[in-house]
Amino acid sequence: MAHLRESSEKALKLLRTLPRVQIGNLRPNPNSKQNDKRGRAQHGGDKHGAGNKGSGQRQNFMRLGYETGNQPFYLRFPYEPYYKGHHMRRQYPPISMLQLQVLIDTDRIDASQPIDIATLCNSGLLSLKPAEMQYGFQLTDDGLDNFKAKINIEVQHASEAVIAAVERNGGVIRTAYYDPRSLHILANPKKWFAKGIPIPQRMLPPQDAAEYYTDAKNRGYLANPEEISKDRLVLAQKYGYVLPRIEDDADYEMLTAAKNARQLFHGLEPGWLINLVDKTIVKLKTT
Amino acid sequence: MNKVTCAFISVLRHTNKSYSSAALLGRQLSYKSDLSLEKIYPNARLQLYTPPPPAASSDGKFNGYIPMDKLDITYSRSSGPGGQHVNTVNTKVDVRFKLAEAQWIPEKTRQKLLQVLANKLNKEGYFFIKSDLTRSQQLNLADALEKLRTLIRAQEVEPVGPSEQTLEKLRRRHEQAARQRLQLKRERGQIKADRQTPSGVDF
Repeated sequence: MAHLRESSEKALKLLRTLPRVQIGNLRPNPNSKQNDKRGRAQHGGDKHGAGNKGSGQRQNFMRLGYETGNQPFYLRFPYEPYYKGHHMRRQYPPISMLQLQVLIDTDRIDASQPIDIATLCNSGLLSLKPAEMQYGFQLTDDGLDNFKAKINIEVQHASEAVIAAVERNGGVIRTAYYDPRSLHILANPKKWFAKGIPIPQRMLPPQDAAEYYTDAKNRGYLANPEEISKDRLVLAQKYGYVLPRIEDDADYEMLTAAKNARQLFHGLEPGWLINLVDKTIVKLKTT
Repeated sequence: MNKVTCAFISVLRHTNKSYSSAALLGRQLSYKSDLSLEKIYPNARLQLYTPPPPAASSDGKFNGYIPMDKLDITYSRSSGPGGQHVNTVNTKVDVRFKLAEAQWIPEKTRQKLLQVLANKLNKEGYFFIKSDLTRSQQLNLADALEKLRTLIRAQEVEPVGPSEQTLEKLRRRHEQAARQRLQLKRERGQIKADRQTPSGVDF
């Protein structure tokens, strides 16, 4: 902002010394006036920019990509192996750490509660489209130097530097998998609860994702919690910060609140039917 | 209602915070499915804890642990291209510590480092590592620490000498060279002797 103040001060200084504004010393902004000179007389006329003979002057141009009869380049290759199955690949729309920090600072997201897909979608600023192969959110490292919030967040992918940034501030980060049906429910929970269907259970990740979510280094929800605790220290040593003692934190309960692998919502079990109208929960009777 | 539930509900009534997570109500009441972590990892410590720093290595080598509070870390602006970001953000990292008083480095390695880095220490005896490799302060700090660890570990590596096979090969080559040299010498000597008049020959 300093540079704006300086330039406005410069402008005011100029105004004090320059001559009075008159019609004779005014000029329009550069590129604001287009030359509407018609194609007549010496410079605009004669061939009117179309050259001599050929398809150019006769305004009978070949279509873009046409190679005068032989098979054009853009039609030679019916497919390329490198993009096989691209339409079926899982996508993880990114949320930068900067975005997350701004959301927390502007009270769009409550940092005193665990954050998951439902929280992020309920903020109204982020949306998930499970039908378009979006399997959740990934936390990217843009703005990780200035990240200051202590949160319990659950995303679907996070890099090592991002995990370190969250843990450095005393927070907890986990990566969890949600199958497409669960994603539809979480992307708009209120709309789904209105259907009156009991909450289903979350399915396990597919084979190619199982390795990711069972690894403690990725803070996977299916990983060994003891390994995760140990890896926290390893990461703290790698990235050079003192690991905050999370057991001594007042919010330890909230920070370590984790969903079961079959659960969709905190505090709600699969099989429960939520009645938003009567504000009741219907549970299956176990005899 | 069982006693556990009663106890937890009384806790809830008296706390003025509101939690939406089931974890507050205790492990007894939280949802347990077939995929609970208790079932997958029955012997693991499920609650998150902060492990203590690792014990010193038994063979007297550096175990990799650097206590962060013993290092003096300062940040400054990096050099090079990068526009407004490089001009305004402190991405360069300077990690300093007094080498002679670094108890976290094993004694033997520390002495060796003092010798090797003798010309790199400043007047007060501080050794420093700087890094402005990336655009991020945290990644630069990780890089600086990585450099430091590599430096310390390099002093502990004992140079492995040539293998038995190599030594044997060298010995045979050396002997062959000696044999050839002596043979040549003998031949030349014989030629020289043949040029002389014979001495003490009985015709």
